[in-house]
This record gives sequence, structure tokens and C-alpha cells, in this order.
Amino acid sequence: MPDWKNLIRERIAPLRLEATGEASLIEEVAQHLDDLYRDLRSGGASHEEAYRNTIGELDDLYPLQANLERNQRMPKHDVTEGVWRDLRYAFRTMRKAPVFTLFVVLTLALGIGANTTVFTLINTLLLNPLPVPDSAALAAVQTAEAERTAKASAPLPISYANLKDYQARNRVFLSLAGYTSPRVITWQTHGPSQRLFGELVTGNYFSTLGLIPAKGRFFLPEEDSTPGGHAVAVLNYGTWQTVFGGADDIVGKPLRINNVVFTVVGVAPPKFIGVNAVFGPDVWMPATMAEQLLPNEMQSALSDRAKAIFVGVGRLKPGVSRAQAQANVAAIAADLAREDPAANDGHTATVSPIREAIFGGNGSTFAPILFASAVLLIVVGIVLLIACSNVANLLLARSAARQQEMAVRLAMGASRSRLVRQLLTESVLLGLLSGILGMCFGYAGLRLLLGTLPGTANFMTPKLDATVLAFALIVSMATGFIFGVIPAFRSSRANVTEALKEEARTTGGSRRKVTLASALLVGQVAFSFLLLVTAALFLRSIGRAYDIDPGFQTKHLAVFMTNPGPAGYAKPQTKAFYKDVRERVARLPGVESVSWATNLPLWGRTVNGLQVEGRQARSQADKITTIVNTVDLDYFETAGVVIDRGREFANIDQEAAAPVAIVNEKLARDYWPNGEALGKRIRLPGEPQMRQIVGIARTANYSNWAEPPQLCVYLPLEQNYSDSMALYVRTKGDPEPLMNPVQREIRAAGPQILVGSPRTGREIVDNGLFQAKIVVTLLTVFGLLALGLASIGLYGILAYSVNRRKREIGLRMALGATQGSVLGLILRQGMSLVLTGVLIGFAAALLIGRLLSRMLYGVSASDPISVAGAALMLLAVALLACYLPARGASRVDPLVALREE
Amino acid sequence: MPPTPPGQEWKKGSAELLVLSLLEDQPRHGYDISKLIQIRSGGALRFHVTSLYPLLHRLEKQGLIEGLWVEKADQRRRRYYKLTPQGIAELRSKQQSWKDFVAVVNRVTGIEHA
Repeated sequence: MPDWKNLIRERIAPLRLEATGEASLIEEVAQHLDDLYRDLRSGGASHEEAYRNTIGELDDLYPLQANLERNQRMPKHDVTEGVWRDLRYAFRTMRKAPVFTLFVVLTLALGIGANTTVFTLINTLLLNPLPVPDSAALAAVQTAEAERTAKASAPLPISYANLKDYQARNRVFLSLAGYTSPRVITWQTHGPSQRLFGELVTGNYFSTLGLIPAKGRFFLPEEDSTPGGHAVAVLNYGTWQTVFGGADDIVGKPLRINNVVFTVVGVAPPKFIGVNAVFGPDVWMPATMAEQLLPNEMQSALSDRAKAIFVGVGRLKPGVSRAQAQANVAAIAADLAREDPAANDGHTATVSPIREAIFGGNGSTFAPILFASAVLLIVVGIVLLIACSNVANLLLARSAARQQEMAVRLAMGASRSRLVRQLLTESVLLGLLSGILGMCFGYAGLRLLLGTLPGTANFMTPKLDATVLAFALIVSMATGFIFGVIPAFRSSRANVTEALKEEARTTGGSRRKVTLASALLVGQVAFSFLLLVTAALFLRSIGRAYDIDPGFQTKHLAVFMTNPGPAGYAKPQTKAFYKDVRERVARLPGVESVSWATNLPLWGRTVNGLQVEGRQARSQADKITTIVNTVDLDYFETAGVVIDRGREFANIDQEAAAPVAIVNEKLARDYWPNGEALGKRIRLPGEPQMRQIVGIARTANYSNWAEPPQLCVYLPLEQNYSDSMALYVRTKGDPEPLMNPVQREIRAAGPQILVGSPRTGREIVDNGLFQAKIVVTLLTVFGLLALGLASIGLYGILAYSVNRRKREIGLRMALGATQGSVLGLILRQGMSLVLTGVLIGFAAALLIGRLLSRMLYGVSASDPISVAGAALMLLAVALLACYLPARGASRVDPLVALREE
Repeated sequence: MPPTPPGQEWKKGSAELLVLSLLEDQPRHGYDISKLIQIRSGGALRFHVTSLYPLLHRLEKQGLIEGLWVEKADQRRRRYYKLTPQGIAELRSKQQSWKDFVAVVNRVTGIEHA
């Protein structure tokens, strides 16, 4: 029985009747046509004849229009009524095919979710990282090397004295403030000390940014004037909430930091973590407190122009461009270089957009982050496109089923644009539903991603704000449009007479649809293969990375950071503490040797300006950059760094004795390629005397796992006192059981001293490989997502093709084809697509692998195990996706299939 | 506006009378009405659904007939129409004027005496 209601609805749609009256009229007329059709049929008419006569009743619409005009025609709301009608119709269509709808919504939601997650991160980090009013008018002022000011030489911090001069002399900023990067400070409570992060800022810092305190006040001008005079602090909102439980009476509370009692005067507004994108301080303190807070080697930072720790942040005067500001600041820098050449010669100043300073005060990390974001966005964009193309495939498949419906509607006088609008409404609605679900997925993904970060108050919190919502909305609607538009135009082009003749359905007339869908599918398989191979390569490379020799031992190593200086220890006390700890820990059973060093493994600090005797630096840019590590006796044995030639530091290397140093092989070879480095002399920047090289140590990894060789200079602790050092412990067996006893001994030696980052050698390697692991995780997640989507697409396209070829298959089987041969036929069809995709993906993987080879440890980009593994996995999943429809085909009952039409 | 085919003019004027007359003895649904008109006229008079239902709705709006959805077992629900008291009065007056009209026409054309 034909669906009279739909036919009538379509037919009278142009009359635009008011909804309630229309529904009743349609039902009544449908009943009428139904009665008429039955009467005609029972009178002996064929289906076609009865159908034609019944439909003929609707031929002349004029009376309907003329007579209803007076009472029931709607006044004006044409457009909204039309949209509303389309929506209702779309909902009805979706209800009729719930499995299809669920499939589509799930597929798209995965794609949209991935995009929302990535966009939220980008939105938080790049688009909107600084929650202050009018951040566009803010600019960062930093030092740069004079030769290369124009282009991206990494900007350096400014010294406090220079900052003061820039403040006083510039004519381009409304106000210019300064801040340091977050530094570890020791918060001394009644119980064990806790680690917090603090930033020193100038008194006008908060007013320059234009912030209003959440509680209390910010710094007063006089609190920025006398060094050491005003121990006041402003708390991070998140820290106030978590560490201090959001206590109402926080303002006025004392806070003992690095042995100085500060008074909390205010709380910063929520979400503000300083001029930092990812990680900010718990507490801000006036720059004038530098001497009390900084480690001893930096304590002259307020007066010494060579000690640069501040980054300037200024609010430009209205109408002043950044270029003008740059010119003005550079002129001041030139004056400063003339006035104090010792500290400032060869340096100028740069004014850069504040967002560049947000990613680390020195060292331009902005570009790599931008690059990573772009790559991530492209990957998730492709995943979404895959989802779209799958859904388009499903819709194309379905449009065959709906061809008759469309043809009838066209025959009934529906306009083509009307049908396209209707179909697009359906797909955009699907897109929106998926968008809602996708937002939920995106939020879950974000939680998951953040789970990998330490959840302390001074980390950025991703913002699910209006921008993200708008993004998800636009993506969903665009998605609906993209996957809907081709099938919609295809369907509306239905050939009326052909489609109405029902036989037309089973001929293989839509080759082009299948070709397009197959091409999309091959692309998908290639892309998922590429992602899987890359993930496998990284995974294998991480496995290999653990076997790489970093130049120090990791198996029986544990390290502990301590800061006696900031805890208020003077030099003799600190020295006693170091000695005491060494003796206490050495007595612990299972400990083989103990030593101190300033650098944690893979956290090497570089120093610029090493001088080598007999070598003249040609220019400022020609300075030698080297890692400097101050170490105690027995360091080399404890850390497992081999001394190749010469000797280790010994008791004779006292403060008063001749200054000595040990250099690494790389330094020795680079500067004394033919001769012996032993006995030669070097000078570190800021040191009055040359140091004699007494030993040559094997080159190790200092900053990153498997890094290219760097220069390194070791100094004896006695000749280069430091008040913050890391304890290195070499154990006989597994270091894990000793972690707690060692910390107990350190606390026993210095109850006020904070023990930070206790780590075993294994954990050090894990941390060193952290980035690579994140890459593997992301690649695996997206690779599996893409594989899942491609399998869905493969299944859809084969199921559709089996459905269309039912008659042919039935015929084959009637003529004697076995179930096995039919199964093989369909499997071949599917797997040939998959193999094509794998081959293309393999070619792409070889190309990408070349780009990645620098990031891979000991694994070639065409590593057979990775490629074979990814291929096996993909083929297995694809085989399953092909098998289901193929099995369906092999079970076609020839009798049923041939009778069906 | 499409021209009204000849013959329709007559139908238009008499349509209301026809429908009201058919509802005089019992309530009927739309299909029933259209079938009766066709059968009783020997096929000479036919109402398409596009004319019939707007007419029914207009009569209902004028208060001459009343439509009611009725559900019977094993059937789709149908809308039955019955005459209102006002409709009975209107039918009487229309029947009277039709008789008068036919009589006048007959007298003028001389059919009665032919």
C-alpha cells in the first residue's frame, strides 16, 4: 500500500497550510485515497491502474487552494514554517532507521570529539592564553644579541638594573613591568617543608596587566622601592583554593618562605597563572626581595647588570605600534651598551608580541608549539574527514534505497531544491546531534589528556568556553553539510521513470557511486596504515631507547634535589649539611657511593661564553656554549661517568688551591684536535682565574635523552660553592627500597630542607622519553580511531554492494556457485581495496619516516617489524570487516533473491 | 488564475445542497459522500478530493455541519460529518430555493409543457 500521507504532504506543501489544520486534512484525504484504492483493487484493477487513478484525485490543486485560502492559509511565517517542517520530517526519518542514525552519530562524534579536544588545547594555549584585559596592547621586552636582532635569535632575560632604565627612559609604554620565571621556593610549615613556585615581579606588574585582585590588594609602589624591606606576597587563586583551602582570612596571614616571613596581602584573579601559558607560580613577591629569595650565586641580581633574570612586559601607549616601541627600546639599549659595556656590549633589546613570551621567558618555544598544534589539527582534521567520507558512503548506499521515495516526490511535483533542502536538513541535524555527543567525547578526551599532567593549582586549565562551543557547533554543521551535500544532489537527480520501475533498482547502474566510495576508502586505509606504522616505529624506538647508553649509569642510581640556601642556611651550615648527608646516606645498607652535583641528570644548565686559552673569540656570536656541572668528590664513580684520561677531583682541590676543571671528550676533541687537552686552561664567564684541565670524562647525555654530543665542564664543589644541589646515590641493587630511607636521612640532617624530585635512574629515563611517549600515545589513539573508522567504511561499502548484487549472487548460486566461491568473491572485492590502501600508505610511511628518522632511536624508518606489525593488524581488522558482509552474501537464498523483485 | 471549466459553475452552486442532502438521514464520512454522489448521479457528477474536503471544511466553519473523528475496531479512524440544527434549517431553505429555482427555470424554458 502506497504511503498516501507522504504523497499528499508533499503535494500540498506549496500551499503552506497552517500546521494543525494541515495534519487533520492530510489524514482525512489519505483515508479517502486509501478507500478509493482498495475499492479499485477489489474491482479488479491492477496496482498501477489503481495507483494512477487514486493519485489522479490530487491532480487539480486549484480548488483546494482557492477554498482554503480564506480560512486556513498561514499568514506569513513561510521560512520558519518550512524549516520546522523539514526538521520534523528529518526526525521522523531518523526514528525510522535508528541503527543507521546511531552508527552515523557515533562515527561523526568520534571525529568531532577529537577536533574539539585539540581545539580546546589550541584555544587555551595559543588563541587565548592570557586572561587579562586587552592583551593585544601588551608586549614583551627582552634582551637579544645585537648582530641578529632582526630575526629569531632566542631572546634573553633583562637584568633588574637595565629594566629600571627601560622603565625610566622609554616613551612608548604606559607602564613597563618585569617578572621572573617561576622558581622553586621552600614553604616552611610546622610540619615538613613544602615546595612551591614563586615569581619575583616589579610593583607595577599587576596594574600593567590590568588585573583586579580576587581578594585583598596587589603590591603598593613603596613595596617596590627598598631592597628587602617589604616581605609581602600575592597568592595564585588556584593555590589559595587548593593549598590553603580557600580560607577567608588568608589576607594578613604569615607565610614562611625561604626562611623569610612574608605577609599575604592579596589573591590574584582566578585562572591567572602569570605571563605563562602552561605553568605558573603559586605566589608572587616584590622584585626587591630578590636577595632573600634567590640562590646565592644570583643574590646580586638587583644591582649586577650581568645577572639577567627578568622579562619585561609593557602596555603600549595608545597609537604606538610595536615597531615604534622596538625602535625606542633599541635606542635605549644602545645607550646602555655605551654606558656599561662590560655587561651590555653586544646586546640590544627586542619588543615582541606577548604570546611569544608566554611560552617560556627565554628561548623561543613558540614556533615548535605552533608547529605541533598545526600537525595535531591536521591529523584530527583528516580523522574527521574520514568520518565524513564514511558517512557519505553510508548515505550514498542509503540513497539507493530512498531513490524511489525521491522519484515519487519529484513525480508529485516537489521541486529539486526542495528535496536537496530536505536532505541537507537531515544531514545537518545528524551533524548537530553528533556535535553534542562529540563535545562529550571531547571533554572526556581532555580529562584523559590532563590526567597525564600533574594536577596542581599552577597548571593551566583548558577552557571549554564560548569559542570552543562555537567551534564545535560550526564543525558539526559543516560536517553535516560536507557529508550530506553529495548524496543529497545525487538523490535528487533520481531518474523518475527509471526509479519508479522497480526493476531499475537492481541493475548495476551506479558504478560511479561505488568508484567514488572505493577511492575514499583506499585513502582511509592508507591514512590509518600510515598512522599505525608511525606509532609502531615510535613504540619500537622507545623500546630501543632504553638500551641506549646515555654515558651515565641508570640501573643503580637515585637522585634527590635539595635547596639548603633558600631554606636559610648560610655557607658553613650548608657545607656541613652536605657532608653530614653524605656520611649518613653512605652508612645505609645497600648504598655503594654518594655524591653531590648541581645538575640533575638530563636537566643540564648551559653557560654561554667559555674561554679557551689561546683561542680568540671573533665576535659576540662566536661565544662557546657549554654545560657546567659542579660536583662533589666521588661524583664520577657514583653517576657512572667514566674518566678516560687524567684524574678525578680530589681532596687537594680546595678553595685556596689551584683552580681545576674536568672537561668532556667532545670539548677536548673540538678544541685540541691534535694535542692533549690535559694541562690546558679554560675560563668560565664571570670567573677571575683560568682553570687547568686535570681530567677528561666520557661524553654523556646532559639535557635530553640520546641528544647530539654537547660540551661539558665539571667543577669541584670546593672551588665553586652552590647552595642548591642534587644528591646522587649509587646502590648495590634496586634503588627503589632505598628511596624513603635516603629522604629520612636528608631530613634528619636538615629538618627545614625541602627534598625535591626524588627519582630512580629508571624514572629519569622515563621522564627523558616523556615527549616520545606522548607522541606514541597520540599516534596510537588516532591510528586506531582511523582504523576503526576505515573498517566501518569498508563494512558499509561491502554490505551495500552485496545488497545491490543480491540478484546476481542469487543467480550465480542458482547456476551452481558454491558458498565458498561467493565468500571468496566478496572478500576479494574488499581486500583488493585494502591492499591498495596499504601499499599507498606504505609509500607515504617511507616518506614520512625520512622526516622522522631524527626522532627515532636506533630504528630505521622502514623497520620491517613495525611495517609488518601495522600491516598485520590492519589486515586482520579489515578482513573481519569484509567477512561479515561476505558471509551474508554466501548465505543468500537464490530462490528468495530471484523472486524478490 | 486558471479558467473555471464550464459545468463547474453549476456544480459549484449546487455542491453545498448535495452534501447537506446526503447528510440528512445519517452522518457520513468524506469518501462515503463522494461515492454516493457519483453513484446516485450515475457517474455524471464527480467530486475530487481537492474540492470535496475544502467544501466540507467550509460548511463546518459556517456551523452547518459538524465533523467528528470516530474510531472503529479494525479500521483507521475516520472523520464523520453530521448536520447541525443550523444545517438542517439551511438545508430546508436551500431545498426550497432550489425547487423554486428549478420551477422558474422550467417555466421560462417551457420544459414543463414540452
